Amino acid sequence: MMSGFETIVMYLGMSFIVVVIMLVVSALLGPFRPKPRKATTFECGVPLLDPGHKRYAVKYFLVAVLFLVFDLETVLIYPLAVKYRDLAQLGWGIFIEVFLFVAILLAGLVYAIKKRAIDWE
Amino acid sequence: MEDWIIDLIKVVFIWVWCLLIAVVMTWVERRASAMMQDRLGPNRAGPFGLLQPLADGIKLFTKEEIIPEKAKSILYVLGPALFALPAFSAYAVVPFGDKIVLGGKEIILQVADVNIGFLYVLAIGSMGVYGMVVGGWASNNKYSILGGLRATAQLISYEVPLGLALLAVVLLYGTFSLREMVFQQSGTFLGFLPNWGFFKQPLGFILFLVAAYAEASRVPFDLPEAESELVNGYHTEYGGMKLGLYLFGEYVNLGTLSAIIVTIYFGGWQLPYVDMSAFLGPVAYGIASFLVFFLKQAFFLFLFVWVRWTVPRFRYDQLMGLGWKSLIPLCLVNFFITALLVQLTV
Repeated sequence: MMSGFETIVMYLGMSFIVVVIMLVVSALLGPFRPKPRKATTFECGVPLLDPGHKRYAVKYFLVAVLFLVFDLETVLIYPLAVKYRDLAQLGWGIFIEVFLFVAILLAGLVYAIKKRAIDWE
Repeated sequence: MEDWIIDLIKVVFIWVWCLLIAVVMTWVERRASAMMQDRLGPNRAGPFGLLQPLADGIKLFTKEEIIPEKAKSILYVLGPALFALPAFSAYAVVPFGDKIVLGGKEIILQVADVNIGFLYVLAIGSMGVYGMVVGGWASNNKYSILGGLRATAQLISYEVPLGLALLAVVLLYGTFSLREMVFQQSGTFLGFLPNWGFFKQPLGFILFLVAAYAEASRVPFDLPEAESELVNGYHTEYGGMKLGLYLFGEYVNLGTLSAIIVTIYFGGWQLPYVDMSAFLGPVAYGIASFLVFFLKQAFFLFLFVWVRWTVPRFRYDQLMGLGWKSLIPLCLVNFFITALLVQLTV
């Protein structure tokens, strides 16, 4: 199955080359007439008052933490899902295991919602 | 011919083909939008304005390179590249047809039939968010940073339902290989329906579709670039081909998502009830399977445009609420039901 990954590398290489060519060619083809006004930060027509990098809502970090938990959960269940059909033939044990695993995480989700971790007001 | 030459031809062909779909898609989007709003749309360049994408491309290539003085210049240039690279590369594992026999050699119509194709799409697909957040941050503009932050939060939020909806599919088919999934969708289901993933996973399909629209940041979930609030979101400060890479990458993403939907839920290259390989020659069969796949993909591409002019934009709190409070629990329920049904039928 290694041959598949070689072609993927070829594909990635092709994407990389084309992206670089696009950036370089557009930089070479365009005119070059710099003016100080052109390089100012866009601000709906008024002069810039303060820099762009400001403090922003902590909610974004909360979402990132929640994402980590649930994405890891998905990653952990994937191998199980592939083999589920084989394991299911052995009895109900695997279903109960999946049920417990997901139920614990669902409880976590309910807790996060109850704590208003994902309410944006 | 040597195997690696065939591989190289396949890589170049598919790469150009998926870019071509994106190019034509920019035209379709504008013409179809015009049709729905009773306008004419671009109709000057070539017949029906078909050369409009070309004209746009030439214009973007010949624009002046402007790097804002406040921007972090290296990251500023890196942003669009980081966004476009994964977008252009995700198509590598999509099976766009069955196989074709040329010169006594059997060639499968897929760049790489890897056994983890499915995970490759998810992994590469989620890399695009770096381009958005890096571009937004490096622009050093309030609109850009807000757009980049929104994009990050939205994309990582909707990646969870996306992955969970696909979890049920993996459980159903018991494989990560996209090609294998298509093979499992041949025949009929319950005697009269096509054996497509859509009929076995109706709830899963709807959940995946909603999450896909959010992942592509299309209307109704185009919050990262909501033009009435954020000018243009994370690419406000960009111009020329750097802006072009962002816009173009989005269209390539639409093509990839449509292809994934077709592969997983709508039987890939197979026609319902008809076995094309039974009465078509080996070459004709290859071309026919390719066309069937393309037609199905084109329908979902058009659906993206159609939805854009049908559904109004969400508010940001509604977006996050929908993702975490509705989609994720529903995905888990869908997963449970699938697991239970598989358990009962083995």
